[in-house]
Amino acid sequence: MHLPWRWLLTITCAVSCSQAQANGWNMPVGVTDLSRDIYNLHMTIFWICVVIGLIVFGAMFYSLYRYRHAKGAKPANFHENTTVEVLWTAIPILILIGMAVPATATLKKMYDTSDADLDVMIIGQQWRWRYEYLGEDVAFNSNMSTPWEQIHGEEEHGEHYLLDVDEPLVLPINRKVRFLMTADDVIHSWWVPELAVKQDTIPGFINENWVKINEPGIYRGQCAELCGVNHGFMPVVVHAMEEEEFDSWLAERKEAQEQEAMGVDREWELDDLMARGESVYRAICSSCHQSEGQGALPAFPALANNQPMIDDFDWHLDVVINGVSGAAMPAFRSTLNPVELAAVVTYTRNAWGNDTGDVVQPALVAEKIAQ
Amino acid sequence: MWSVVKSVLAALIGVQSNVKRQQDFSSGKPLIFIVTAIVITLVFVLILVGVALVAAR
Ligand SMILES: [Cu+2]
Repeated sequence: MHLPWRWLLTITCAVSCSQAQANGWNMPVGVTDLSRDIYNLHMTIFWICVVIGLIVFGAMFYSLYRYRHAKGAKPANFHENTTVEVLWTAIPILILIGMAVPATATLKKMYDTSDADLDVMIIGQQWRWRYEYLGEDVAFNSNMSTPWEQIHGEEEHGEHYLLDVDEPLVLPINRKVRFLMTADDVIHSWWVPELAVKQDTIPGFINENWVKINEPGIYRGQCAELCGVNHGFMPVVVHAMEEEEFDSWLAERKEAQEQEAMGVDREWELDDLMARGESVYRAICSSCHQSEGQGALPAFPALANNQPMIDDFDWHLDVVINGVSGAAMPAFRSTLNPVELAAVVTYTRNAWGNDTGDVVQPALVAEKIAQ
Repeated sequence: MWSVVKSVLAALIGVQSNVKRQQDFSSGKPLIFIVTAIVITLVFVLILVGVALVAAR
């Protein structure tokens, strides 16, 4: 039996590889040097497994057919063969060592978070990501922007259904960015296949990872650790841009954040707070308390016509700032700034027929937070 | 002694001939095998530590 096996293998290889890539069955090659290394390592080990599989199952099926009972084959009855046993122990050991060498080399690169040009803190929260550019005074929340109407089937699905956010993580290309990753509540996992990063974010721990992106673009991912009812609704979007573009984005962001901080001291009108509050509510609160404040019992109480909340302004403000211990309501004192907090409390006290007419000034909220 | 080491090494990879096993069970003392096995395991661990140190450089 003379199969042109080399030739056959090459053809199968070429066809199945490009096919799997085109169909999205295989892992992506990605856009960093490291993601390429990981992809190549994956393919190397995959083909080692394929060759072993072909040899083992080839030998098995050949023997099954060639020495079948119908042809009068007689079984050999010897008990042991030390040479063969040593061989089939030694060969796998050598193969495993052969795989361990490139795998270890790649792992070492993955763990080398030294000499980063930029540090970004990634914080998992139920159910959004928060990004803090360390040393740059820039921090923001990244919420899924897919409308609930699409999720509930009342509208057609958009182009990036469940994979779009209001504010993506913006990163520069060609610079080493170190991620410091943690979570506020439960374990989440920050996963972007194109960047070859999938790292658990664990409350009380800081995990490290890094990327150095080669190509500008938008890269999408998801939370990869089951983290509660809205686990499927906390996508990751990374916007990688040219270095100069990134620098001006960062400067702009800083400026905007400073403007926002100054907004704390001025007197706000009801209409401005309502408009701002509605967008905060949609991004942050509506996933639990629902779009019209109707709530979802038992965990998430209604806010519309919630009499205790309407009657007790101080308690309402305290719950939003400090959360409710032992319940699903988290503290928003560090997730939202005073303007956003004041706006969302004003909004919930005046929307859906609550109509208290209360105007919460950001300065008051800042005072409460400082206490 | 060499035959004890060989038997322990054979046990380490899980392959031993029947003839050799009969020999060990009829003539050897258990304590010698146990001590040799502990020493060889320690050597194996040290080799792994060495490899890890070299790899981590
Ligand atoms: Cu999550």
